[in-house]
Parts: sequence; C-alpha cells; structure tokens
Amino acid sequence: MALPPPDPQFVLRGTGAEVQTLHFYCGGQEPDYPILLSGSSNGLIHVWNLKTRRVDTILDGHGGKSVYWVEAIYGRDRLLSQGRNQKICLWDLAEGRNTVTDSVFTENVGFCKCSLLKVAQGHWLMAMPGKDLDEVQVLELPSKTSVCTLKPEADAKPGMPMCLKLWQPDFGSCPFLLAGYEDGSVILWNLSGGKILSRLACHQEPVMSLDFDSEKTKGVSGSSEEVLTVWSLDEQQNLKVQKTQKLVNAGIADVAIRQDKKILATAGWDHRIRIFGWKKLKPLAILDYHTATVHCCSFNYRT
Amino acid sequence: MHSAYGDIILTLYQPSTLPHLGFAVSLLLALAEQEKAKQIKLAALKCLQVLILQCDCQEHHRLLDTVETRQCGNLFASFLPGISTALSRVITGDIKQGHMVTVSAIRLFYHTVSLVMADEQLATITKDEEKPSVEQSRLSELVVHRGPDWVKSTADKLSLLIHKIVEFASLHPHWKVRMELVELVHHLMLKCSQSLVESVGHLLKALVGLVNDESNEVQSKCHEILRSIAELRTVAENRALADVLSENLHSLATALPRLMNSQDDQGKFSTLNLLLGSLKLLGPEVNIVLNSAAHLQRLSKALMQVLELDVSDVKIIEERRWGPAGSLGEPSGSLQHGLRESKCQKKYFRFFIDERIFSLIQQICRVLGYYGNLYLLVDHFMGLYSESVVYRKQAAMVLNELITGAAGLGVDVLQERETAVSTEDLKGTITSILEEYIDQANWSLTTSIDTEGTSDELTVKHSRARAIPGGAHSSSLISSFSPSSDPSPTIRSMNSNIWQICIQLEGVGCFAYVLGKEFRLLLASVLYPVLEKAGDSTLLISQTAIGTMVDVCHACGYDSVQNLINANSDYLVNGISLNLRRVAHQPHASRVLEAMLRHSDASLLPLVEDVIRDVLSALDQFYDDRASSFLGVLSTLVAALVQWFVVVKGKEHPQEQNLEQQSSTSSQKQGKGSVITPMGQEVEQFLLDYIKQKQIAEGNLPAMEEQEEEVQAPHPEPEMNDTGAEGETPLPAHAQIAKDVMERCIHLLSDKSLRVRLKVLDVLEFCVTVLHLHENQLLPMAHRAWPALVTRLINDDPLAVLRAFKVLCTLAETCGDFLRRRFSRDVLPKLAGSLVTQAPVSARAGPVYSHTLAFKLQLAVLQGLGSLCEKLDLGESDLNKVADACLIYLSAKQPVKLQEAARSVFLHLMCVDPDATWLFLNEICCPLPYEPPHPSLHAVKLGGMGRQRTEFTDNVLGLLGELQRRETAAFHARPQEAPEPHPPSLPEALG
Repeated sequence: MALPPPDPQFVLRGTGAEVQTLHFYCGGQEPDYPILLSGSSNGLIHVWNLKTRRVDTILDGHGGKSVYWVEAIYGRDRLLSQGRNQKICLWDLAEGRNTVTDSVFTENVGFCKCSLLKVAQGHWLMAMPGKDLDEVQVLELPSKTSVCTLKPEADAKPGMPMCLKLWQPDFGSCPFLLAGYEDGSVILWNLSGGKILSRLACHQEPVMSLDFDSEKTKGVSGSSEEVLTVWSLDEQQNLKVQKTQKLVNAGIADVAIRQDKKILATAGWDHRIRIFGWKKLKPLAILDYHTATVHCCSFNYRT
Repeated sequence: MHSAYGDIILTLYQPSTLPHLGFAVSLLLALAEQEKAKQIKLAALKCLQVLILQCDCQEHHRLLDTVETRQCGNLFASFLPGISTALSRVITGDIKQGHMVTVSAIRLFYHTVSLVMADEQLATITKDEEKPSVEQSRLSELVVHRGPDWVKSTADKLSLLIHKIVEFASLHPHWKVRMELVELVHHLMLKCSQSLVESVGHLLKALVGLVNDESNEVQSKCHEILRSIAELRTVAENRALADVLSENLHSLATALPRLMNSQDDQGKFSTLNLLLGSLKLLGPEVNIVLNSAAHLQRLSKALMQVLELDVSDVKIIEERRWGPAGSLGEPSGSLQHGLRESKCQKKYFRFFIDERIFSLIQQICRVLGYYGNLYLLVDHFMGLYSESVVYRKQAAMVLNELITGAAGLGVDVLQERETAVSTEDLKGTITSILEEYIDQANWSLTTSIDTEGTSDELTVKHSRARAIPGGAHSSSLISSFSPSSDPSPTIRSMNSNIWQICIQLEGVGCFAYVLGKEFRLLLASVLYPVLEKAGDSTLLISQTAIGTMVDVCHACGYDSVQNLINANSDYLVNGISLNLRRVAHQPHASRVLEAMLRHSDASLLPLVEDVIRDVLSALDQFYDDRASSFLGVLSTLVAALVQWFVVVKGKEHPQEQNLEQQSSTSSQKQGKGSVITPMGQEVEQFLLDYIKQKQIAEGNLPAMEEQEEEVQAPHPEPEMNDTGAEGETPLPAHAQIAKDVMERCIHLLSDKSLRVRLKVLDVLEFCVTVLHLHENQLLPMAHRAWPALVTRLINDDPLAVLRAFKVLCTLAETCGDFLRRRFSRDVLPKLAGSLVTQAPVSARAGPVYSHTLAFKLQLAVLQGLGSLCEKLDLGESDLNKVADACLIYLSAKQPVKLQEAARSVFLHLMCVDPDATWLFLNEICCPLPYEPPHPSLHAVKLGGMGRQRTEFTDNVLGLLGELQRRETAAFHARPQEAPEPHPPSLPEALG
C-alpha cells in the first residue's frame, strides 16, 4: 500500500481572504529565519515569520484590490507587489517601516503576473503586461526605464499575455522572455531584438501558468484544461512539445519547479496540489487539504 | 607542662627522652582504656593531649615553628600505632562510657594523626634525612623515619582504624560525638588528604552521611566543611583524590541497586546521600568519570533501577475525570493551580516510599546536569529512553532533572561551574527531547480499555510508527512499542503508560521553567499535545497536564491558562484541524477543542470557526460510529456559546429585555383585562370583550380589526427592532454555529444509542438557548426538530423523555406561542394520559418509589407543566386537560413532592386563567356558600358545595386560599376601589 500523502506541516491562518500569491524569502547569508510573503484578494500582503508561524507585518497598499504577485528584492527589506488596482509597488520594510517608496502604474487590467530577473548586482529586469492588450513591457529596475516593448505582429493575434517568465541561459548573457498567451500558445521572445524566436501552440485554452528550467532548457505550462504540457527548447531556439500529462480534473492555476530541478508542483482548481518528478513527470503525490481552489504554490528551498 | 615554656619544653621532646615519653603515653592510654571512672578516663585523655602539645585549653601556648613541629611529628610517629589503636578501641568501646570520653578520644585521635601525618611535614621530609645522633643508636631504633614507605604502610593501617571509627561514630546516638566526627573529617581532610588518600573515601562517607543529620548544628557544620573542602579545590588539584572519588562513585553505583533492595529507607537515604556528596565534591571533575563509558553505564543503570516505578496500582486507571459538568468549573480550579508552585504528582516507586529519597535522587540528577557534559548525558539517557520500555519512564525522569540542573535551577552545589550551558544549547537539547516525547509512539499510548475505537487507533499508530523511516532508533521504537499496543493491554502496561505520559508532561513543565519566555517558540509544537492530555479521561493524566499548563503559563509569562490558550490559539487550531483529518486522531482533536473551549472566552470564536466547520463535516462523515465523541465537543461548544454570548447579552441589555417583557406582559394583561384593571371596570371590560368576541364569532369584521390593532399595537415595535434588523444583517457567528449544530442534532435525535440521544437532547437545549435571540432562525429549526422531539417525548426510554421534556420547557420559554398548537395536538394528550395512568401507581407506592425513574418523570412533568401552560398560553380546553390530569395529584395519597408539584401547576394555571381555575377548584371542594347579591340573579351552584371532606380538600383549600390572597393583594394595591371583593366567578354565574 502506498503511503498516505503527508499532512501539512502547519496551516497559516488569518489572511481573511483567498491567497493569490506566495513567495518565500530564505535569506541566504543571514542565519535568520525564513519569511513567507503572501498576497490575498482583500488587498493585503502578509509577511509571515516562519519561525513563530505568525504574521510579522501586514501591508495594505492596493486599496483593497486583490494582490496577485509579490516578490522580495534587495534582501528581505524590500518587496515588490502587483495588485489589481493597476499598481506595482516597491515596499520598504527595513527597521520596521512599511511604506511604499515607489510605484509603477500598469495600464493593463489583466491577470498576468510580472516576472523579475536579476541581471547584475543592484539591477533587475521586470516584465509586465503592457498598455495594449497583447503587449509585454520590460522595465529596468530600479531606474524604471523601459528596456523594450514586446508586441506580436498584427496577424499573430495571440491575445493577452497570461503569464511571464524572464530567464537567461548564463548569468550576464542576453535575457529571454517566455510568455503564455490567451490563445494557448507560449512565445519565446528575445529581449535584445524584441523579436519572437519561437511560438508553440500547446494548449487549446489560455495558458494559466508556466515555469522554465534553464539548465535543461525545458519548461512546463498549465492551462484551464486538464493537461500539463512539457516543452523543450532546442539549440535553434525552437520550442517543441515534449510530453503532455493528462490530469483528472481541469484547471492549473500555478506551476512551480523546485529550485533544485527535481520536482514540480501544480496548484489545481480541483483544490489539490500535485507533485511530479520533473525528469519524467512521474506523479508523486496529491496533497489534499484545501477545500477551495488553490491559486498558487511556491517552494521554500535553501541552497 | 603548662608551666614549662619556651625551649625548655622542647627538650622534653628530644629523641633521647623517647623511652620516658613512651612510658607516659602507654600509662595514660592504659588508664583511658581500662579505668572505670569516667573522670579519670577523661583526665588521662586530656593529659595525653597536652603531652602531644595539642592542648586546646584557653591558656597561652607558645606556637611551635615548622621545624619544631616536624621534630615533634617525628617523635610521635613512634607512638602513633599505639595511640591510634588504643584510642580507636576507646572510641568504639561501650556506648555507656559516656559521650564525653568518646568525644575527647576522637579529638585526641585526630590531633595525633594530623600531627604525625600532616601533608606539610611529610612533604619536607626527604629520604636522606640525617639520622639523629649516632651515639644514641639504641634510641634511634625507636625513632621512626617517616619516609614514603612508612607513610604508605601507616596510612593503610590508619585507614582501617578510621573506617572503624567512622562506622561507629556516625551512628552514635549523641550528637556531640557526631559533631566531633565531623571535626575529625575536617582536620584530616585539611591536613592529611594526601597521606591518607585511602581513608578519604571513609571520611567523605561520614561527612556526606552527616549532611542530613537530625541535629541542625551537625548539619550546618557539615555543610560548612563540605563547602570549604570544595573551595580549597583539593579535589581538582589532587588527581589521587579525584580517582578515589570516582572509584568510590563507581562502586557505589554498582552496589546501589543491591542496596536499594536490601536496605531500609534510612539506609537508602544515607547511601544516596553519599552518592550525592561525592558528585558534589567532584564538581566539574565529574566529566572525567562520565567520559568513561563503564562509569556512565553503571551510574545510569543504577538510576534506572532505583527509579523504577510501582505500576501495579489499579486505582490509577480507575480514577476518571468526571463528565464535563465538573470540568466546566475548571477555570476556578486552574486558578488554584496557579497559586501553588509546580508540584509533581506523587509517584510510587518500587524500591522506596520516602519522599526524601526521591528528592535526593532528583538532586543527584540535577547535580549531574549541572556539572556534567549536557550533550553526553542527554544523548546517553535518550539512548536508554528509546532502548526499552522498561527504562523509558526513568530515563524521562532523569532527563527532566538533568535539564533542570543544567540550567542551574533548583540545584544546590558546593562550587560554581566554570561555564554555564548557553541558552541556545539548552534550547536545542530541549527541542530534541520534546520531539521524542511528543512523538506519536511515545505520546498516544493506550491508557484505558474502553476508549472508543481503540483498535483502529492502534492500527493507525502502528502504520505511523512504521511510516517513519530512517530515524536511528525507529526500529527499536516499534519493537519496544508493540508490547504496549498489545490488543489486550494489561493493567500494568496501562499504568506504566499513564506514568510515562505524566512524566513526559512534567518534563514539558520543567523545560518551560528552564527556558522561560524562550519556550514560547516551542509552544507551536507542544501546546497541542499537552492540551490533548488535559482533556484525557484518566484523572492522573489530566491533572498533570493541567499542572503543566500552569507551569508553562508561568514560564512564558502569561497571567492565566486562558491567556495562554487565547494567545496561542492559532497553534492549537492548526493542530486540531490537522488531526481532524486523521480518523483515528479525531477523538483527540475533539478533546483538545473541548479543552480549548472550556478554558477560553468569546474572543476565541473567530479563530475556531473554521475548525468547528471541520468538526461538523467530520461528523457528517461518521454519523454512525463517532457521533458520541463529537457530541462531546458540540455540547462543550454550545455550552460555551451560552456562557459567552447569552449570559453576556443578558447582562448587556437587561433593560431592553425588561422593557420588552414589560410591554409584552402588559399587552397580555390588557388582552385579558382581568388583573390590572380595577374590579368595577373589570366586569365592565369583560362584558365589552365578551360582546366583541361574540360579534367576532358572528363574523363582524370591522370590530375584529379594531380589536387586533388594539391588542397587537404594542407588539410590532420591538419585533421590528429585533428581527427586522437581524433579517438583513448576516447572522452573528455564534448563532450560525448554533444553527449548524442544531441541524446535526435533528438528525441525531433518533440515533440508536440512548447515550447519544440523551447527549443530543442536551446539546439541543443549549442550541435553543443560544438561538433564542434570533427568532427567525430558531423557529424554522424548531419546526424541523419538532417531529423528532415529539417521538422522544412520546415513546422512548423514560430517561430520554425526561431530557426531552426539559428541552421542551426551554423551547417553550423561547418560542412561546409558536409551539402552542403543536403541543396541544401532539404532546399534551399523551402527557396527560401518562400522568393519569401513573397516578394510581404513585398513590399506592411506598417510600422507595421516590427513587424510581417513573417518579422523577412524573415530578419533572408536573413541575414543568405549569410554566409550560403559561409560556405557551394554552387555550381553555387544553388548560382543562392539564387541570384534569393534575387534579389527581392533589390527592393527599400522593407523595408529598408530587403534591407540591401539582399545586405549582395550579398556581401557574391561576396566572393564566384565574377564573377558570377558581371554578375548577370549587367544583372539587367549596368552602363557602355564595349568596347572590341580588335575588334577581340565579343562585350559584358549584359542584364542590356541601361535599364531604375528601383526599383533595387540603390542597384545594390551600390553593383557593392562595388565589384569594392574590386577589386581595391585587385589590389592596388599588384601595380606592369597591369595598366588597367580587368573587371572580361572576361571569360564569351570568353565563
């Protein structure tokens, strides 16, 4: 008999609304405790102390509108959050402060989460949905200057971008952007040229989420259907479908590959979190605790 | 001698005078030994003492310089054997010789020995010391050369003597002798610790043994000396001594189990004292001993065996926590707990009874923890803990004390250790111990046979234990665990489990005490298991757990258990919701929730809301087998809701309610128009009403509308306020929960098991109480619950009927007229019928009857019926039914209590309809003839007129008197009214 799936270690209560996004910050240098950032649909961002398992700080900066992306930047004292009030805020949390020091107004009203990539010490690239419906804008942080605007050709009509993933093959080399679109296709953009390198129609329905393993040049995407698609990128920068995994229930809200590239987790609309082996997509476990749609999943991995 | 001063006296102590001196010494010794007269003995000893220049009299003595002392030492070395043996004979002689002799003999002994064997002197003596003058060669044979060889052999011989003396004197009945012995030890330890290494063991034994002497003076002296010895660090500097001590320790540890078996409590006490003393003396050096595996092994095994608990007592399992009723009063109880300092449960050991022995062992462990290498010790004892079930309890006990000692708490030591254990280290150690303690395999043990679903719990535990892979001792865990999970656990094993849990709980308390506020971080994992045990059905465990909670509370700086639970409810809720997911752990989880609810207050509710939902859904899944365990939680839950919300509400809005009541009663009274309005108007009003009623009956609509408006005018306003507002706003959480619970109850009302049904009825009653402010929710629920409730009332076990009737009363109180029709249709006939049929039985029955269930049922029905009639505002025919049924109970033949209850029914009936009651009672028995005030009226004819005295007469007359009294009271309240009290039966006469 197979072992029963493990129980949760701990259930963090008290967000007061659905949790839309999660981000672990494990520190690294400091021997300090890890923190977890969560953004919920009531517009609050909670900073959880994973040692006491309680909320350290509650940030309210999105006017009660759902927060659907948070990420720590500059260590644990700064964080970026994106909310449905069309704002991306930079928070300063150092020394007990909790103020918004900077914000970017996005003209897009979609659900697309931003993507952040550290390109050099103190410099980041942030991809975010742009003004036009099908456009993606890439900003350089902290200067907020626009690096490029990625707009598909007029006849391509992929619809709105749904999910973004910035990556670069090696540190310092030219970054790429993977974007999942409303029509179910995944497009690989070259940021330096602003050109489409490859386009892969891998879903019938909008791509809800994707993650990419730059070591194996292999990625995974989930949509509102009941399939999970794994695709790979060959030397000619072409995306190819490698494998599709059928699921029992439709709807993948989030996918995440663990930092050690060993396992993959999916957050499902069927209230379940599924764990797969990343190499062969072997199903490992179904974590069944939630009683409503799981919107996001995230790995805490200390290197 | 005293008169001789200066150098003169020294000439006496030249080798040349040796023979003369020798003669004197032997003479004195012989005197001391053989003389009968005490005085002479004493004088002889005294003289001898002077002779060896150790006089302790007040007179001034010339202090000898070191060279001279050495000379003397050399000289007396020759006499040492003789003196010491003779003295030892004196000391160990007949007790009857008087303590003074013994005391001075001891004194002389140690003075002599310390003079000759002094470390200082011996150190200066070299091998090639010049021989005393050659010409006196004959004398020189007498002079002893105190070389190492001599020292060695003398020490050996002395050690025998010292051993004898110590043995004898430490048990000497007179305290002065023991005191002198202490002095002896002090002197010798101070001056000859190197030369007399072999005897150090004996000496320490004496000293340590006397630490807890009956005499305070001896005690304090011992302490002082021990301290001074420890301070001198002779132990630390003297390897040989340390070796002796550790050897001592080893042999003691080896012998301990045997001694524990054979000695009496006093003997055990001194043995352990010795062990403690040597540990204390070793101080930081104890690590040398502990680092040797053999020593540690011996010591730990000895402790394990000594601490073995007696687990054959049956009472431990038998004692149960009694029902939730008792535990609801716990907050006050736990306050009392808070006052007393952490007091452990009394343990019963196999090998000793004396409490002092246990505290000694505690001290031993603490001293070990204080000085010893914590990691080494904890590791070792954890090994023992997981090695076998046999050692587990003892090892846990030792671990608890080790940690306490390591933190330097409650430990009494002679010297400070160099480095204290850091808090971080302690925390790490404690965390790992706690992990082991609260592991399922060590925490959820079988403690009683009748736990529901024990079998599946066990199977799950088994699978869990196997499911933990890797762990170094997982295999041993399982193997050692399986005997305790034997399908038919013996009393012994269950007792042992209970004790294990208790000890572990105490450990948690200790650790909290050690860590103080730092412990808060560990609460996340620890609080849930502790609270789980607080709800355990075994008295011992739940008491210990509550004690632990109090300790934790103090340690973490919370003012009360309630605070503790409230501040950490998120941790608890997490544990509960995770455990609810496992079928086998559901009872535990629900128990924790119960304990949590019991100890907390309303602020907890928002947090537990989702857990309660989980509980309900879990209940939905397991209606059949687990209903009763969940019902426990539900009943605690709703009881808590009642306590938190209903009582509080009542206090908050007493005025509102009063107003409402007033308005409603006044409207009622206006409607009836019989009590408040004065008599004259009363009749008038009645006639008017009567006419109106008649008109209504004839279908005169306008009049009816008027009437309705008039009567109901006061009603709508409060109702609009109450229900209108609540209809819009969402239901408060507690009401919603109560509603959900009630819904489940409806299904469970017809459960197969009587116990479940009874419990459900209880829960239902609470739900009704909670919901009574939310009529919109309550009425539909009452409607749905009604059929099931009626079945309970009509055909069920009498117990259930009783309970159901109580629910009915509560329901009537809150729902009122909503139930009127249902009641009169479904329940009343049956109730009245049963009252009537039971009446002859109770009338005939003897005194024993009042203990039967049937009696209680009758009583309850009669007691409740009156107020029920009033609350439900029953119609006339129903009232008649009630009156008919109750009348039989007014009979003097009925038991007194039933008569009283029946009278109370009639009193209530009087409130509802005094006239009808009056008439009814008069039909039975009428004390006064009623003359019509005017001849044009018919003469009043009542059934009771002119009857003979019957069995009913007394009660009826009493009731009529009461009725009369009430009327007059009402009348006197309005003195301006007509002088003559109208009998209220006038309308009947008219009709």
